[in-house]
Amino acid sequence: MAEEKVVADRELDVRGAQCPLPIIRARQEINQLSVGQILKVLATDPGSVNDFKGWARTARNIELVKQEEIPEPGNKRLFVHYIKRIA
Amino acid sequence: MTTEQNAIRPNELQLLLHRREPFVLLDVRNQEDFERWRIETHPDVQVRNIPYFQFVENPDQAVAQLPSDKLVVAVCAKGGSSQWVVQEILRPRGFRAVNLNGGMLAWAQYYQARELPESPPHLRIYQFDRVARGCLHYVVVYGPNHKHAIVIDPPRHTEPILDLVQHNQVVITHIIDTHAHADHISGGVALSRATSAPYYLHPYDGIHPLDVLPATIPYEMLKDGMRFDLAGAKLQVLHIPGHTLGNTALLLEDSGRTYLFSGDSIFLRSIARPDLGGHAETWTPLHYRSIFGRLLELPDETIVLPAHYSRSQEARKDGLFTATLQELKQRNADLQPRSESQFREYILNSLPDFPHQYVDIKRVNLGLLSAHEEFLDELELGKNVCALATAYKG
Repeated sequence: MAEEKVVADRELDVRGAQCPLPIIRARQEINQLSVGQILKVLATDPGSVNDFKGWARTARNIELVKQEEIPEPGNKRLFVHYIKRIA
Repeated sequence: MTTEQNAIRPNELQLLLHRREPFVLLDVRNQEDFERWRIETHPDVQVRNIPYFQFVENPDQAVAQLPSDKLVVAVCAKGGSSQWVVQEILRPRGFRAVNLNGGMLAWAQYYQARELPESPPHLRIYQFDRVARGCLHYVVVYGPNHKHAIVIDPPRHTEPILDLVQHNQVVITHIIDTHAHADHISGGVALSRATSAPYYLHPYDGIHPLDVLPATIPYEMLKDGMRFDLAGAKLQVLHIPGHTLGNTALLLEDSGRTYLFSGDSIFLRSIARPDLGGHAETWTPLHYRSIFGRLLELPDETIVLPAHYSRSQEARKDGLFTATLQELKQRNADLQPRSESQFREYILNSLPDFPHQYVDIKRVNLGLLSAHEEFLDELELGKNVCALATAYKG
């Protein structure tokens, strides 16, 4: 799955933000997308990985397409989530 | 507690639990994190796991799962999401709801200190309980005017210890780790730097058992039979390999009473596991001889003070985790008489899953890995799993 290239229609940068903000903001963005479009979310909170998984599993109209973990300088990590609006 | 209050601190939550007050514990973390580790409660507490994103998606549906006539204490990883749920969702709908400030992270850093009432006249023994993780450490205050102290198995957060010694104008003279810990980050070296007191460890534990690399931290060597004179009271080192190769227990004798700081060897309801160094087969016989040949040979009235518990019900009514050796012989299933081969079979069939983060924790403790605070917090998530599986059942 990781080698698959996902093209996003919109990007949301919530680096530095703590939960619940990444998901609240992602929900607002998703609502503005058309069905089939993809939102790319950049986050630094490690907790966002399981939260986006759980959110996609329980929410009514989204699908988690892909998640990436990218090492950053200074022992930091960037977490990228791709969410598709499916209904 | 007033209903005007929006938030409570970990000590207030601990008080609610201790008083056995009925309330709803609303954990708004995702299901994986909740199942991995949650706040231990009693049957009068209704526990609900409703992730915060369900309140984002459909607040009315999420709220319908909560009783409206009880106090709701909301919890998440760091306190942000639960605060949002309390302020934006629950309180506007008339719920009596409060947030646990700082979430599970603050809960994991909360320590409760209790003085052992059976302390002899020349000593004051304090047991510090890291409630969220079931980890115990000790401060023994000694000397003619109670002005000196030794610290046994200090954790990463040394402020509660420093508060106690500053409040009582006590000088720390020795800092001892009964063994190189795998379940939590030791505060030994940091406390040694802060106080200039020497930090002691058995040299066999100064080598990482899996990496086979020597520690880079400064330490003084413990050895079997070594004695510390605590102004008349005697503290003796017992080398009891098994849980680790350099595992020790500390025997304190004063005014005819004997106390055993058993570290990770015998606990109140279980015993320590011998496999965290990756050598269960070869270390189990050592463990057997240390426990049955040495510790259980101590006087029956010895007061045992362990470094862990598995469940809060192990505490006495006064909240302390302690019992005499005689009591342990009667009620601790892992200490029932067995031959060495029976013990070996029993142990090797009772090992819980190996927590992978324990390898890195020991690396940090030996100075073989340096990590930032957030990573250390992550390594220390969850309850300790230093005991045999029997301790976590039922």
